[in-house]
Amino acid sequence: MTQKPKELNAQSVDRRHFLRSAAAMIALPALESLPVIGTAGAASAAPKAKNLVSIGAYLGWHQNAFYPKEVGRGYTLPNTLSPLADHQNDFTVFSGLDHRAPNGHGSWSNFLCGNTPNVYSMDQIVADQIGQRSRFPSVQLTAGTGEGSKAMSFTKQGIGLPMIQRPSVFYKRLFMSEADKTRMEYMLRSGRSSLDLVLDDALRLQKSVISADRDKLDEYFDSMRSVEKRMERQISQINDPLPTTDYKLPDTDPITPNLLMEAEALMYDLMALAIDTDSSHVLSFFIDGLGQVFSFDGVPLRSGYHGLSHHGNDPEMIRDLVSIETAHMHCLNGFLNQLKEKKRPDGTSLLDETIVLVGTGMGDASRHSNADLPTLVAGGGFDHGKHIAIDASKPEAPLLGDLYITLMQQLGVETNEFSNANRNLNQLFS
Amino acid sequence: MAKFVSETRRMRTTLLLPIVVIASTLSLQANTEIPIPEKPLQVLEDYCLDCHDEFEQKGDINLERLAINWADKGERHLWESVHHMASEGMMPPSDERQPSPKEREALLAWLDSSLLEHTPIGGTLPRRLSAEEYQSTIRHLFDLPDYKLPLGFPKDSEYHGFNNVGKGLVLSPPLMEAYTNVAEEIANTIYPPKRTTPPSTTRTAGPNDMVLSFSAGKVVDDALLLVSRGHEIFRSCSWPSRMEIMSSGTYRITVSAAKHKPTWGGPMKLEIRARELTASDRSRADIFRVLKVMDVPSTEPTKITFEADLYEGQTLLFRWMNGDMAHDYSKFAKQMREWFERDKRWLAAWQHTVFPNGDFSEIRGSVIRGRSGWEYLSKALADPGLDMSRATMDDPLTVKFLEMADSNQGMFNYADILCHYYFTNGPAMEFHEATIEGPLKLVDGPREILAKELQQRFTGTRQPKQSEIAFARETLETFLPKAFRRPVDEQTIDTYLGIAERHLATGNSLDTTMHLLVRNILISPRFIYRQTSPGELDEYNLANRLSYFLTQAPPDQQLLELAHSGKLSDPKTLREQAIRLMPRKPTSAMVQSFTGQWLDTNLLPEIMPDPKFKFSEAEIALAEKEVEHFFTEILTKNLPMTDFIDPDFHYTTPQFARNNYQYSYLSQKNNSVSNILLQFNLEDFHQEIEPILEKTCYSCHGPDEQKGDFRIDKLNPNLAEGGDDILWLDVMDMVANGKMPPAQANVSITEKERGLIVDWIAPIDLSKGSDYERSRSDIQKLPLDRGSRFGGLLAQSAIMTATANGVDTQPVLRGVWMLENILGMPPPDPPEDVPALTPDTRGATTPRDLLSKHTSDKACYSCHQNIDPVGFVFENFDPVGNWRDEWPKIDTRIDPSGTLPDGTPIKDITDFKAWLVDNIDHFSQCLSEKLMTYATGRVPNYSERKEIEAIVEANDEHGNGFQDLLLRLIASDTFRAK
Repeated sequence: MTQKPKELNAQSVDRRHFLRSAAAMIALPALESLPVIGTAGAASAAPKAKNLVSIGAYLGWHQNAFYPKEVGRGYTLPNTLSPLADHQNDFTVFSGLDHRAPNGHGSWSNFLCGNTPNVYSMDQIVADQIGQRSRFPSVQLTAGTGEGSKAMSFTKQGIGLPMIQRPSVFYKRLFMSEADKTRMEYMLRSGRSSLDLVLDDALRLQKSVISADRDKLDEYFDSMRSVEKRMERQISQINDPLPTTDYKLPDTDPITPNLLMEAEALMYDLMALAIDTDSSHVLSFFIDGLGQVFSFDGVPLRSGYHGLSHHGNDPEMIRDLVSIETAHMHCLNGFLNQLKEKKRPDGTSLLDETIVLVGTGMGDASRHSNADLPTLVAGGGFDHGKHIAIDASKPEAPLLGDLYITLMQQLGVETNEFSNANRNLNQLFS
Repeated sequence: MAKFVSETRRMRTTLLLPIVVIASTLSLQANTEIPIPEKPLQVLEDYCLDCHDEFEQKGDINLERLAINWADKGERHLWESVHHMASEGMMPPSDERQPSPKEREALLAWLDSSLLEHTPIGGTLPRRLSAEEYQSTIRHLFDLPDYKLPLGFPKDSEYHGFNNVGKGLVLSPPLMEAYTNVAEEIANTIYPPKRTTPPSTTRTAGPNDMVLSFSAGKVVDDALLLVSRGHEIFRSCSWPSRMEIMSSGTYRITVSAAKHKPTWGGPMKLEIRARELTASDRSRADIFRVLKVMDVPSTEPTKITFEADLYEGQTLLFRWMNGDMAHDYSKFAKQMREWFERDKRWLAAWQHTVFPNGDFSEIRGSVIRGRSGWEYLSKALADPGLDMSRATMDDPLTVKFLEMADSNQGMFNYADILCHYYFTNGPAMEFHEATIEGPLKLVDGPREILAKELQQRFTGTRQPKQSEIAFARETLETFLPKAFRRPVDEQTIDTYLGIAERHLATGNSLDTTMHLLVRNILISPRFIYRQTSPGELDEYNLANRLSYFLTQAPPDQQLLELAHSGKLSDPKTLREQAIRLMPRKPTSAMVQSFTGQWLDTNLLPEIMPDPKFKFSEAEIALAEKEVEHFFTEILTKNLPMTDFIDPDFHYTTPQFARNNYQYSYLSQKNNSVSNILLQFNLEDFHQEIEPILEKTCYSCHGPDEQKGDFRIDKLNPNLAEGGDDILWLDVMDMVANGKMPPAQANVSITEKERGLIVDWIAPIDLSKGSDYERSRSDIQKLPLDRGSRFGGLLAQSAIMTATANGVDTQPVLRGVWMLENILGMPPPDPPEDVPALTPDTRGATTPRDLLSKHTSDKACYSCHQNIDPVGFVFENFDPVGNWRDEWPKIDTRIDPSGTLPDGTPIKDITDFKAWLVDNIDHFSQCLSEKLMTYATGRVPNYSERKEIEAIVEANDEHGNGFQDLLLRLIASDTFRAK
């Protein structure tokens, strides 16, 4: 028996409901004029953003070093975010949001899936709406080796999507070499031309069976036609100029765990290139972590990454953990720099059109708690610069899913619900 | 029903089948309407049409007509449901005027005979292979037993509870793309793209180019130190970060290393292995190939150079083979114990580091893992005022520490600290540099070796002078029948040969031609679908159906040969083959796939029970295994169907049964062990045995101390009255075997005393036989008294968990589940306008009060009178199946009673089980229909259900064995019709 999550539908959002949720946020000094509750209608105008990059850190972000002490604008940058100083007005920090999901490493995928892990993830909802406009409807990347088969993105069917771990593989997909191109063309042309004979035989088979069976086999032909069309499209585009780049990767892929930061930096470079060349609009990036011991400025940390995440509130352990998380933010800073520097012909930057969501599925790895997930949103045409603190203890406090609804609407996805959330954060964040 | 009752009669209908089906095919084409006879027409008019006429169409049901076109499938479905509602008394609703029994019978008799007459047996649509079947087919076809579908392969959708039903097995464009990708992947595995020889390069890795993981290594003074000889590579080994081999070949390897602060004279040994860079860092070192064991004799760097083959994706892995310490809890604990014995300061420093308050109020574990712990420890060692007062071996702090050191988790924490001692003080292995030069020449790696084997299997050997096209034809002639699982006609072979001809003609090589053939064969509908042949279920289709049903794999050689000779459809042969292929192990694909889908236990991994239930992931896995063992036991031993409901055994671990089923081994009456134990005089125990335990064990496991949380003096030895059987036996066993008391303990036991205990326990050992191994964590058959609340499918943890949501129970959901999957009386879909039941958080009402509307509202009542009682009877089982007497939060005693659909009142679960045993055919019918759905890929229709009914009845009259039932089902027309 499948357990359906309790469905909250749009009709159940009544006025009382809204008032209560507003009350939950009253603690915020930054509550500006009371806006109209966002509706799907808001999305009917041209979308304000066109790319979504979702970044999730497996071992979480230490809350005390991620959340600013002050709320609203003009807060002092906390340690973890210190590398992002140049961009303070390009991002917003959220505290107190989560999906009310189960705890533990096993439920980590609640980050993009919401209340129920391993179901249709937010990035895939977006990809299914806007992904088709680009060569790669969505891209899943990972840096570092951890526990293996985890997935961060899940299709509508709930299938976890495999992630590309090697920068060289992603690079080859973006910028094919002549040899790759020749091989691909051979595969396409040989596949396409032999397909006719396979279909002849299939047709002969179909003709031999009774009519009910014949109708069932139509599914085969319909599906084949779509494969055929895809092949033909690719063949016709095979000589289209592919994006080119002067960018060079190192000789070997940094896939050993100690080279996590290097892998991260390369993936960020490639993601910026992918966005710049409109190769993909929806990218997700998983930052894994296990026992690797990092050295910063030649000094090894006192324990492996995973070991540090179980800091038990030991200040020394926390300091080392935060230094790793700060290093992640250095890499992110490089990414934001690139997005900001690269301009479209009309003068807008890539960052203006790209929502960068940084978060995790685990709020406190030391206790394996998945409540209160540190979240940061950069770019995407929002009014940034604030720390928005949600008091989750208040009834009807907004959920992380409500923020996701706002993000999706910004990308032109007409929706009023996500997982267990059916409101939005438009009145706080627009 | 009588039509199918006798076996001989059944055989005759089998022989007559072709004619019957031709007749019904004809009747399908004849679009004639048959008038409804007068009597049933009158009943319909009097009792049904008020609501279900052309005008009202309540619930979108319109029964107003004078004649019925039985050839129309939709019509048949409609009247089947009329029959169902009328026979179950669900219609007319109880507050409406009811037909007399005679009138009802007239309606039912007419419907029954019309439905039987007009519903032909058979009608499965061509089925594509389900994802599971597809994977297993590829494994068998290419002999790749470890082949796994790629991550992201589309899932099958469920139809009537199963993922292999023709109707549900939709072929969609994304799935076709996935098939195309798999075909390409397999083709690349058999015929890998040509390798080019890369230029030879020289790469060097120094101490700072190496991976440091946990406390496995540390760079000190320009050398990398290795200190542990642990098994898991991420705790003991190091490997270069940027030395991945891109092409399998022979390489020249140079390594230099030195002894670091040695404490003895002999050589240190550095082990050099080849690891796959993408293998898990948790891997054990010994799964990787040893390239060299290097002797390191001196504190001056020694350099060796050797040649070795390295394969694509590999790099070097280094471990100090004869290091002082190991990440192994028994060895680690032993090393620490001996060290404590000779160095009290060392002991005091550890006490101080792990127990900062001098007691157990704070125990530092993972928090101080690695360098943090070492900093605490070295500070304590250097402290002149270090408190030495408790540095004795029998101090509780010492005892506790050694206990933790002797457990997996504790060992990792503290061994990682000890590593840092060695980094500082030695001895350690100093790694200086590794260089790889090459490839000197290319060699076949695992990929190339596998490809050659696969090519040989795919094409066989090419004869001398055989033309390329003749070779391709020969390959197709042998391979296509295997891939398509049936004989292949000339025209089909010619079609595929055409692909080869065209490809060769444009100047392509034979290998790429074969590569192209594989890509195309694997996307042919003849490979993807089964049952695509025209006409009846022929011999080959029967072979496929039988094989995929019982083994989830394509038919083997023997089946295909029997099909070829036309013998498989012979009832005797079919039976023999069914017995041969019958699953025998709980790990059989059929057992796992069928039980997982039938009982929804395949949902278990996704259910995360609330931590308050203390039902661990390991227990969830065990619960799933229990179902598989239980099912297999009943099947292979041909136990009666009633054993599904009320067996005389559990099939799980004693520990699981104890934790979840209130199980006590020796309290079972029919148990030989307890019979023997009953003969023991408790007074003898108190006189002879207890004093020995008192003297030997109570000091550590008694009132003053409970090592390992274990207290013996409180165990109840009165086994005759349900004493602490297993725990108690464990104690006796450990003493008898000399495991206890531990050698280093301050107590001793004389041989005479041990002898007394051995004597005491000996009869128990003798009696345990094969069905009771005392290992508490082994899955085994445990004796059980029939009639218990636990035992049988219904109360199994797996099912109670799968029918809840991990947080709370919902009687309606469990009730519907029971009706659908156990009783075979699926209720109609719920009306759409009913709000979901919201659990009452104020705690004022019981679930019963919340659902009281079901009985007060007539519209609800017609269905819920069936659903609610079989749901509420399970309310005593919490969301993970543990027993509870009260509803949580509201402190109200659970009322599980109710009245079953046939009017039988039940008090609780044992009543319900007793009723089901008395009415076992309901269950047998339900399970048979599920099995047939899984086997044939279609939901049994009216006539087929009638045939199954007759089989169930006949089987019940002949011992009601489950295996017998399965064999009868395989012999049925329903199984054998397309």
